[in-house]
Amino acid sequence: MLERLYHFLEVRLGIRDILEQNLTKYLLPNNVNIWYTLGAVLITLFVTQFITGILLLVYYVPNPAEAFQSVERIMNEVPYGWLIRYLHAVGSNVIVIALLLHMLSVLFMGSYKKPRELTWVSGFILLNLSFALCLTGYLLPWSQLSFWATTVATDAAGAVPVIGDALVRFLRGGAMVGDATLGRFFALHVMVLPAMLAGLVGFHLFCVRRIGISRPPFGEDYRPAEVKGYFHHEEHPGGIPFFPNYAIKDMAVIFFFLAGLVYLVFFAPGLFIPPSAFEPADPFTTPEHIKPEWYFLWAYQTLKIFPSEFLGLAVQGLVMTGLALLPFIDRGSERRPGRRPLFIACYILGILLFVGISVWGHYS
Amino acid sequence: MTDPSINLSERRTFLGILLGGVGLVISAAAAWPVWRFLAPSSGEGNLAKVSIQRAEVPLEQAHFFSFHGKPAVVLQAAPGKFAAFSAVCTHLGCVIKWVPEEQEFLCPCHAGRFSVEGKVLGGPPPEPLEELPVALDGDQVLVG
Repeated sequence: MLERLYHFLEVRLGIRDILEQNLTKYLLPNNVNIWYTLGAVLITLFVTQFITGILLLVYYVPNPAEAFQSVERIMNEVPYGWLIRYLHAVGSNVIVIALLLHMLSVLFMGSYKKPRELTWVSGFILLNLSFALCLTGYLLPWSQLSFWATTVATDAAGAVPVIGDALVRFLRGGAMVGDATLGRFFALHVMVLPAMLAGLVGFHLFCVRRIGISRPPFGEDYRPAEVKGYFHHEEHPGGIPFFPNYAIKDMAVIFFFLAGLVYLVFFAPGLFIPPSAFEPADPFTTPEHIKPEWYFLWAYQTLKIFPSEFLGLAVQGLVMTGLALLPFIDRGSERRPGRRPLFIACYILGILLFVGISVWGHYS
Repeated sequence: MTDPSINLSERRTFLGILLGGVGLVISAAAAWPVWRFLAPSSGEGNLAKVSIQRAEVPLEQAHFFSFHGKPAVVLQAAPGKFAAFSAVCTHLGCVIKWVPEEQEFLCPCHAGRFSVEGKVLGGPPPEPLEELPVALDGDQVLVG
């Protein structure tokens, strides 16, 4: 039966060729390492978010009068609603961890360099889209935490000179966070941002596949690949097949991440969901010590370190722009970490600074 | 530590089968919560009676209400004589309406007609309206 189906598709679509080109005859570098699995992990996690998000939409009501109760209902009344919601909420944090690890591994191995600038830039935009999804999703439960975290986050845009106030009003859809904010954040979270994300993931994967996987810059026989002035797909003759060899490794790491996600959902969901997330939003009572999510703490603390909010915002903008345009700034062809001491020093300092400022922000 | 008699290909096949098995178990384990999440509520409390103020059902008038999630109607055809029916037409599931001038129910979809006892008077409905038990309790009409 399966053989007949295969034959039917083979005659009409030539699937043998497609499968060979993309699976068994798609060769990866011999020294490909475990960090290259993070893309597959991220796709799996995004699919999980997509499925759990659609399921939550079945019961969620995007209206300030009913949003909190609808989430309470999902948590307490709908069978397994708590599981679906925690998978979605905790899953977003696991995605950010995987995204940061993916970015750090690409930086460490210099894989962003020419001719992979577009892969890097699209990846960096994907990171920011994910942050935007986190921010917009945070408001939807309409809890004290979501209301005030969104108030603080949107207020930061007010530091932009000249248009700051107008920008804050536009983001919120009014002077304060309210009905209009929930409406636009809901539309962004369930339609606009996921559509952009899906399109960009497609482009990112297209870039990865079109230019070829970069060879990890390790081992004695590694030499930086010569970048030609015309399009060249990087081949890895004698490499290991994507299927079954690397696909098995992909699956193992995917299951490792899923196991971590399930562990957090069952045993430590409170790590990412503080008590103020269980109180309905009250626009007239600001809770004490309101803090953004852990991945925004660095930005939150930066705004506080500098004497003016504008200066803090400018530094953030500078860092993010610098990262986005890194392949156009760091143009040398050398990718071996041992031969890039200045970059690796900046890399380690950057990580320490991110962690340090975040911890400072947490305890400030 | 490595047993040379087991080659890499055998290890990979073993790991593949193991991971595939785990994947199948995860899929099966995930399907049950999703099914339960989406399944309609089991109808807990379906035996509960619905109470309606007697004043809401004047003489020769009908009052439409929701009975355990389905449309229903209670009618006072004669003084103190109440009857309740499912308001779903037995033909194709449209909701009937009360025609006070004729003292009968009419289904607007295909002109099915029902009497105050729920019996078919005309049109395509194959069966009478489903009757619901009614009781009086002071100024309340209890249905169910």
